[in-house]
Amino acid sequence: MMEIAWIVPLFPLFSFFFLLAVGKKMKETSAYVGILMTLLSFLLSLAVLFDRLGGSTYKAEHVWLTIGSVKLTAGFAVTALNAWMLVVVSLVSFLVHIYSKGYMHGDERFSVFYAYLGLFTFAMLGLVLSPNLLQTYVFWELVGLGSFLLIGFYFYKEEAKAAAKKAFIMTRIGDVGFFIGMILLFWQVGSFAYDDIFRAAEDGTLSQTMVTLTAILIFIGAVGKSGQFPLHTWLPDAMEGPTPVSALIHAATMVAAGVYLVAALFPLYEASETAMLTVAVVGGFTALFAATIGLVQTDIKRVLAYSTVSQLGYMMLALGSGSYVAGIFHLTTHAFFKALLFLAAGSVIHAVHTQDIEKMGGLWRKMPLTGPLFLIGTLAISGVPLFSGFFSKDEILVAAWTHGHVALFWIAVVTAFFTAFYMFRLFFLVFGGEKRHDEKDVHEAPAVMTLPMIVLAVLAVAAGYVHTPWFGTFLGDWLTDGAYAHETAPGWIMAVATAVSLLGIFLAWLMYGKRSLARDWLSSRVPYTYSLLWNKYYIDELYMRTVGYAATAISLLLSYIDRFVVEGIARLIAATVHTSASLGSRMQNGQVQMYGAVTFVGLALLVVILAFTGGYL
Amino acid sequence: MNGTYFLSLLIFSPLLGMILLAFVPKTQERTVKLLGFLSTLPPLLLSLFAFWQYLRGYRLEHLAEKHDWVRFTDFPFLTESTYLVRYELNIDGFSLVMIVLTSLLTTLAAAASIHIKKEWKGYFQLFLLLEIGMLGVFAAGNMILFFIFLEMTLVPMFFLVGKWGGFDRERAAYSYLLYNGLGSAILLIVILVLFARTGTSNLELLNEMLHNPVAQAQLIAPLSEELRLWLFVALFIAFGIKLPIVPFHRWMLRVHVEAPPSIVMLHAGVLLKIGAYGLIRFGIGLFPDQFRHFAFWIAVLGVINLLYGAFLAFVQEEFKMVLAYSSVSHMGIILIGLGALNEAGIQGAIFQAVSHGLIAAFLFLLVSILYERTSTTTIDRLGGLAKVMPLTAGCLLAGAMASLGLPGMSGFISEFTAFLGLFQTKPVVAAIGTLGIIMTAVYMLRAVLNMTFGPSMRNDVQALDMSTIEAIPVFILLVLIVSVGVYPYMLAKPLQAAIEMMMNGLGG
Repeated sequence: MMEIAWIVPLFPLFSFFFLLAVGKKMKETSAYVGILMTLLSFLLSLAVLFDRLGGSTYKAEHVWLTIGSVKLTAGFAVTALNAWMLVVVSLVSFLVHIYSKGYMHGDERFSVFYAYLGLFTFAMLGLVLSPNLLQTYVFWELVGLGSFLLIGFYFYKEEAKAAAKKAFIMTRIGDVGFFIGMILLFWQVGSFAYDDIFRAAEDGTLSQTMVTLTAILIFIGAVGKSGQFPLHTWLPDAMEGPTPVSALIHAATMVAAGVYLVAALFPLYEASETAMLTVAVVGGFTALFAATIGLVQTDIKRVLAYSTVSQLGYMMLALGSGSYVAGIFHLTTHAFFKALLFLAAGSVIHAVHTQDIEKMGGLWRKMPLTGPLFLIGTLAISGVPLFSGFFSKDEILVAAWTHGHVALFWIAVVTAFFTAFYMFRLFFLVFGGEKRHDEKDVHEAPAVMTLPMIVLAVLAVAAGYVHTPWFGTFLGDWLTDGAYAHETAPGWIMAVATAVSLLGIFLAWLMYGKRSLARDWLSSRVPYTYSLLWNKYYIDELYMRTVGYAATAISLLLSYIDRFVVEGIARLIAATVHTSASLGSRMQNGQVQMYGAVTFVGLALLVVILAFTGGYL
Repeated sequence: MNGTYFLSLLIFSPLLGMILLAFVPKTQERTVKLLGFLSTLPPLLLSLFAFWQYLRGYRLEHLAEKHDWVRFTDFPFLTESTYLVRYELNIDGFSLVMIVLTSLLTTLAAAASIHIKKEWKGYFQLFLLLEIGMLGVFAAGNMILFFIFLEMTLVPMFFLVGKWGGFDRERAAYSYLLYNGLGSAILLIVILVLFARTGTSNLELLNEMLHNPVAQAQLIAPLSEELRLWLFVALFIAFGIKLPIVPFHRWMLRVHVEAPPSIVMLHAGVLLKIGAYGLIRFGIGLFPDQFRHFAFWIAVLGVINLLYGAFLAFVQEEFKMVLAYSSVSHMGIILIGLGALNEAGIQGAIFQAVSHGLIAAFLFLLVSILYERTSTTTIDRLGGLAKVMPLTAGCLLAGAMASLGLPGMSGFISEFTAFLGLFQTKPVVAAIGTLGIIMTAVYMLRAVLNMTFGPSMRNDVQALDMSTIEAIPVFILLVLIVSVGVYPYMLAKPLQAAIEMMMNGLGG
């Protein structure tokens, strides 16, 4: 099966082209094409995974471009990580495809939506299969394109336009880091292939500085894609896209690409302490930073978006702390429970037609399925024991502690507390209390939407058991080829993690469930902190006032130079020619004396020139 | 294909159309347009045939043609071939690729010429003459012939801009003529100095005479290092105007805006590339040492071009101006590649010449379709086009993506290869240049999204999406752009031998 793994991405690609070509006529039956194609992808991915479970890495390559004697190749590889990611991506994509049939029902551009979903899924699966950096970069950008198109799906909305543009440009800033890092590596290693890079990093062909430099440059790319500080600002805005898109792209798959990239290049990062530390610090900082913003937001999707940024920070922290397994494990569980949360949020938005949590409330009874499903997702992300998020988060905390990042460990613990708090704040505001919206006829979503959520809910619980300290570390053993280091973690870490998450839930319950604590408890006491958080630390404004204005200023300055200086010089030359011409024509006045004089002067000039140059010009 | 007149036939085949057109009454619009379009097919078919044969292993040297033409001087002590200008044509992989690009874009531009509103007959006559010039430039075997063909593009272009252009067309035509005339004059000086000193203008012979010590001894008059340096600088300026290199770019802005879009397709697609072709063929070919000497500054100029064009494109109000500055910016990538002075760089530069040819033509084809319906290309006066013209808007977005170097499209391959080259030799310059990658995304998305996304600005216009006839050339170009992007080897293969030759000249 592994030999034909390259077909996996082609199904959704076919869906893309097919729906672009004939989708308009198919109207909403387009959904079946998309669903079928991703189902095939998923099934084939499963087959590949099972094949890989018993086998070893498979790799195939073809010449893609030659530069002199250098041959750049394109191909695919099925490693443990790739096979695992294939299944995660195709599964979430498949579920989102099903869900969208209900959510996008009645949209004018229904088939276009499915076409874009296909393009995105293709790019993401292609990214996962890439055996070398260049190919990864190619799909990396295509993933960005898919995301751009889907964020801007409601293109007639000014906000969607701005969000799509912002997403593309912010990630592109990161991509340039990736681009430079990749090329520098190429000239050092002589190849883009992961294997060659790792070999070079190991045997010292790559100098220590070069390893650190390239690793950090490539990490900048990951920072952009995974919405890490300081390139995170696009991700919350990306919520302008339809909600299924947020679930697929901005929670489960694309944003995880940054984490995946660092994981795929893990041996390179491991070779440099500095790079690892950078990853860990950026991750840890982002986790806390985004969680604090999430505390006060009132748009249901934006809260989830900041929680995504925060969780991605966790993954980076795990990788930076040297735990490859914890990063991938959390990526997996997060993919399931975050997709679940977004889809459930979509179901809520679908019902009440608003995203403002202040205008929701009392939905628990009205939505008997969505409510519990959302709760499961919330419990999972909060790290309540027995749910998947509990195990993966614990793994990260252990990694941070055993790696000696004490400060980062405590940051992660505080973040866990915040996470539990704001997620349950969200839950109580949406489902608890009394109704605050004006929608009369609130009803549960159709089965086509709830079914995928149920599957995800099962996974949000069950996915944790592939790697637990109690029942066995299957995922870890497999991902590391049996070399998984069983850290003997201090037992109190798990206790602390459980305690803080329960504490967070309790506090949220006090404030938003039971209301024995006033809601404006925080905002009234520390108004400045509150408005700082509410305005997301004014980062957008800061970028606008610095980079944004600087670019415009430079452009305007250059445009004046272009119009007046460059054009002015050209005019000056033209004017000089004009004047000398009119001077020349004045000499032709018909007087022989004048002609004689001109001839004589000219001759004299020529003689002088020839004398000076010695007849040799 | 063993006829030795193949190249002549290819170059002058548009002449047939010109003659036939002469017999068509000028009022018969449909016939003229159809005939004009059909006349571009013979060179296209011939060049595609040659390309196909070349890919199958045919040796292009067999196509060379040589006929004595004019001999200046008749001194008995000089050999027969001294001061002899031959009519000689020959091509290598590089020229062949440019010829295919030229004939292809000409055909597509002819298809886009259905929007020409007046005097179709004169238009197509000049159009075909222009094609002869362009094809000839790439096949010329000596510098004098090259120059003649180059001038042959100048004259029809002047009238095409000046007569069929937009509001300020005459000024645009004059500035085109003046700048290019100046460039030509400088080029002519270089050619004549070389001709006078060596007695030949044949490229291969010149190459031999300039670099082989034995042959150098036989020169009529030796060329000092200093003179070579100045000749190179002059050559660089001459082609720099054509490319254009900042600050010689003002003329091409006007042409971009004023000339009819179908002509801009050729202008941006092919004519600018003559500058690149000249720099590579004569700059690297004849003066490799000088080129090496200035490589750093060429790369710096490339980065300046890239950023200067990008920043200016960011504040333009007129979409055509955005594209004009984007051309300036993208020509910077050619210089970046050349400044790298390695295989990757040169390959990147040539890739960029081809890729930008396709992308610029694609975008201007869309401009012609758009302008036909909206009568404006001012960005602020458009908006929400995706609603009324989804296909055109989608293609515009695809063009923007190709232009900003999205992988999977040709723009990425050239940008990547050029930067790959420069990072090897001048990493710091290259790193500064990568800022251009971000800026390209910024200005392209700003312009295109403001036109296509957002609330619809034009409810008044009965804008219809592109018709099937219009869509065919659009899709041909799009498919080509994507094909090169997905499988660049198909472009790398025909160029390989030519690039190796150049690398040998550069001394590894």
